[in-house]
Amino acid sequence: LEEYINSRIVPRIQGDGGWAEFVSYENGELALIFRGECSKCMILERCIDWISQEVKRDLGEEITVKPLPRKPFFWDN
Amino acid sequence: LILFTAWPPLAGGTGKDRLKARAGFGIRAGKEFSMAFVKVVRRGMLPEEWAQLRYGWVKRGIIKRKFEITGLEIRDALQTGENTYTFLSDYRPLKKGDMYFSPDGTVFIKGHGAIPEELKGKEAWFFLRTAAEMIVKIDGRYAGGIDPNRDRLLLDPWLEEGKRDFSFEIEGYNRSKPDDERNLDTMALRGCRQIFEGAYVAELNREVLSLYYDLTLLLDVACAGTFDEEYQRFVVRELNKALDLIDYDSFEGAAAASRYIEEHIYRNRDFASSGNVALVGHSHLDIAYYWRRIHVAQKNARTVLIQMRLMDRYPEFRYAHTQPYTYEQLEKYYPELFAELKDKIKEGRFEPVGAMYVEPDCNIPAAESLIRQCLYGQHYYRRAFGITVDNAWLPDVFGNSWILPQILKKSGVDYFVSNKMSTWNDTNRFPHNHFLWKGIDGSEVYACVPPTHFITWNMPSQIKENWDAYQEKEGGGQTLSMFGYGDGGSGATEEMLELMARFEKLSVMPKTQHMRADEFLHRNLKDNLGLETWDGELYLEMHRGTFTTKSDLKAYNRRLEFKLRDAELIALLRMKEGAAYPGEELRECYKMLLLNQFHDILPGSHIHPVYEDAMRDYRELESRLDALLGQEDGAAGAADALGREDPPEGAFSGGLTAGRQYFNSLNWKRESVAFIPWKDGPFVRKGERGYFCLPEGEALSAVFPGRPPVGGGDDTSWLKVEGLKAETPFYSIRFAPDGSLESLCDRKTGREWTDGGFNKLHLYQDMPGLYDAWDILPGYKDVEFPFTVEEELHLTAVDGAAAEFTVLLKTPQDKSSWRMLLRLFKDVPGIEVEHVADWNEKHRMVKAEFSCNVLSRELVCDTSAGYIRRETHKNTSWQKARFEVCHHKWCDFAERDGGVAVINEGKYGLGPEEKGFSLSLLRSTIRPDILSDMGRHDFCCLILPHQGDAVEAKINRRAYEFNVPLAPSRVKGLPFDFAPLYLQAAKLSEDGKYVIFRLGEQDGLRGQVRLPFKGVLMNLLEDVEREAEILAYKPFEILTVGMKVEDYLEKREK
Repeated sequence: LEEYINSRIVPRIQGDGGWAEFVSYENGELALIFRGECSKCMILERCIDWISQEVKRDLGEEITVKPLPRKPFFWDN
Repeated sequence: LILFTAWPPLAGGTGKDRLKARAGFGIRAGKEFSMAFVKVVRRGMLPEEWAQLRYGWVKRGIIKRKFEITGLEIRDALQTGENTYTFLSDYRPLKKGDMYFSPDGTVFIKGHGAIPEELKGKEAWFFLRTAAEMIVKIDGRYAGGIDPNRDRLLLDPWLEEGKRDFSFEIEGYNRSKPDDERNLDTMALRGCRQIFEGAYVAELNREVLSLYYDLTLLLDVACAGTFDEEYQRFVVRELNKALDLIDYDSFEGAAAASRYIEEHIYRNRDFASSGNVALVGHSHLDIAYYWRRIHVAQKNARTVLIQMRLMDRYPEFRYAHTQPYTYEQLEKYYPELFAELKDKIKEGRFEPVGAMYVEPDCNIPAAESLIRQCLYGQHYYRRAFGITVDNAWLPDVFGNSWILPQILKKSGVDYFVSNKMSTWNDTNRFPHNHFLWKGIDGSEVYACVPPTHFITWNMPSQIKENWDAYQEKEGGGQTLSMFGYGDGGSGATEEMLELMARFEKLSVMPKTQHMRADEFLHRNLKDNLGLETWDGELYLEMHRGTFTTKSDLKAYNRRLEFKLRDAELIALLRMKEGAAYPGEELRECYKMLLLNQFHDILPGSHIHPVYEDAMRDYRELESRLDALLGQEDGAAGAADALGREDPPEGAFSGGLTAGRQYFNSLNWKRESVAFIPWKDGPFVRKGERGYFCLPEGEALSAVFPGRPPVGGGDDTSWLKVEGLKAETPFYSIRFAPDGSLESLCDRKTGREWTDGGFNKLHLYQDMPGLYDAWDILPGYKDVEFPFTVEEELHLTAVDGAAAEFTVLLKTPQDKSSWRMLLRLFKDVPGIEVEHVADWNEKHRMVKAEFSCNVLSRELVCDTSAGYIRRETHKNTSWQKARFEVCHHKWCDFAERDGGVAVINEGKYGLGPEEKGFSLSLLRSTIRPDILSDMGRHDFCCLILPHQGDAVEAKINRRAYEFNVPLAPSRVKGLPFDFAPLYLQAAKLSEDGKYVIFRLGEQDGLRGQVRLPFKGVLMNLLEDVEREAEILAYKPFEILTVGMKVEDYLEKREK
């Protein structure tokens, strides 16, 4: 799953100005750090749904995604 | 007294509600009132809020009725090239409420629609609200575009007579990044996944639409805070009376409201204004930024399409579009649109502007690159449209080098337009909007720095702000306001044109006139005797970090600029030997370099995939140039020092390049050491083993580097080392353990060159905020972190020509390692410093300090076509603001009889200091690219103390020698060298008739040279101007000399 996220999902998100990093995958829960534009995206949950659907389609696994947004200091407020 | 602290956005508002929010609607024009102890928030409704609320209701009535188109199908894709895609799915049904688009994704949508019976004989519109960028084809023809700024297109022109049904195809690209961060409404829409809101055939309520435009105009006037307060109150009062006439269920009364506005507001002439503003339609387009350049073909095509469709409906509309590269893309990938565009250009409605191939960064590219930007840009315009554009259109670039006026003037460009200095400067107000810009050589161009942003939406308040900020009012004439969304926002909208048609009805508006860009420039700048002159660079007091961010790109750009020079020159020399000149390949290579000089690529202000693209381009370009350079004899010169094909026994055995024949492509005899790769060499430089030697090579001639001085027999007696002290034929040096120099004493004169940190690395906190990649703040030195010395400086290698000392430093928590290799030489005074960093920081910047025992107030900096002097004191705010400047190959801090130069090979950022300067080496920013500059870096610079000033010491020549390695080629040389001018480039002319020599005066001298052939003088576009035998030159002049190909081929070889 980590390889899949890094090779298939991350480049797509980066191409849109965002940033995602694999953290862990345990008990069907995929933890991803979101940085850059993703860190303040108001509709990030739609992207998370998309990631789940992509994983299901390509790897046949049902997962849930736990987003870990990391805002840079200049967006702290 | 009441403080209104917040104004809730209207529910469901898209479109222009955001403009009102931006303009400050609902806030009492910045006035805050407070009582003695308590802030009171008003909860009642102000008159302008009441008008604003009903404005939103009116907007809902624009679509009179709509009929959903069902049975749509969608297919997901990922764009892989300008017109190539990987399809991720087959077509599947698409219904209202479905999620569509994915990160960086493209979709193709198709369907069939029909004009319902109810709309028979009426105007029918295709209606679709989306956050994406869409090109729409109706029955196979380009009908228009849809995006966040426009949600409909007229169907009637695309329907066959008598036919009421149609098919349509849509190509849509998701736009997560809105075109303008001030655009609050598109900020709310941003995101990779969108909800499909349905496609419709719709009928508009024309009366409501017309009223909506009136309200848009008047509410901006009433609430933006830029117009007379009495007039604002008057407009609000009368607007509310007009809005009282409407039934908001049926929208009956809209026409009556419009009539009321006409009679009571537009006809009122009691309020007067002044001013004269020229309105020029334009759409700024970043070739890469928050998107990769592969998307720009489509962004550009859609922009062009939308503007042409506006021209169909508004014949008087004029639009200026820049960057020949984008036209080239359109011609290649959208030939149908291109054919239509050519007609619009002939009609004078669509105006190509901007002579440069792209809108490049104008600090970092060298003179020859900027010349080629003009050459290939103008030649494209000539070929495609038969025009030569007389303006440089650079609204968004981050400051402009002093070398530009000459390059522009000699490229057929008389007018220069750039916005940033007026609106972005963080310290000083740039004093002109219209002026003469005098360049380093004395050339002058007319310059326009418009008072406001290059992206506006043609609101009255924006136009008024433009006039208010205009600084040449006393001289009369018009000021320039560009209107149109940018970056795929696709330029002007119907609304902007409808507002423009109403401007003359408003007595408080400055006079406005819609016109072409060239019309504005010619009318207001040409022969304007009242213009003042700005003599110097156009330094932008912002974005100072872009000289340093993404250092790999800068280093590659520098290296490839010189490699292209060598490739062209050597191709010419081979032509003399019978080979064909690879003109097309060289042109394509150059264009690849120029493309990556775009002002959000080379400066480093882009997302990570853009960096990857640029690096891929650079690697490919280098490989293509190496192939061109190595064409005649493999990867490197094949003959050894004695001209033999096989290396001799011993020292050369197995060597890849040692002892081979090279070519000195510089037009003077080299006086610097060269590093010659050789697998048994005693030194490792940039990961390659080899040796240093002082090759004897005349100008433009073959060079046979000497045998590598290796082995026990080498005489190293030239170097004495004792602890941290070293003595060479030139210096007595006392190092500090961290690799800085505590003392650098000239043995001949006894002069000490250091006075404080010298070659001293500093690790600073570098947190400029939102504009992370762009900016460095003036207080960057306030927080400094220590380097720790992991390995003290020690001698690591020595031979008969060079000695190498190494030190290893670490940053706090050992996050990054920084190895410095200092090299001293027996035969030359330069001290080379190689920096090898494993860089893993966030918001840190490394600078190398050079505090010199020199009393001077000027730092002399190379511009690539001469030098510029920058003050090192901070007497005025102008000097304070220039705490970080751009330089090219070298800088020099000297007294009348000596000083210290530092030569670099791809570093541009420089901080002028009281005792010298600091060279910016690396940054570590996180926006827009989290990985910016992370990883391994390996770069060199050369410290060169000298006698006399920089010119007497020939620092510029030494800097060329440091940046232009010997070329691995066996070509024979030229029988002439043009001394003392610099041979900046040599190439075959674009028409193949002339061999062109570009000669630059770069030492600030005046003189003349006799040409060794019967030549012609040309401009930079390679147009012949006159015959020339004696070439008179003035300081910093760039001259282009042509020699007929037949004469060149007849000239005897050297």
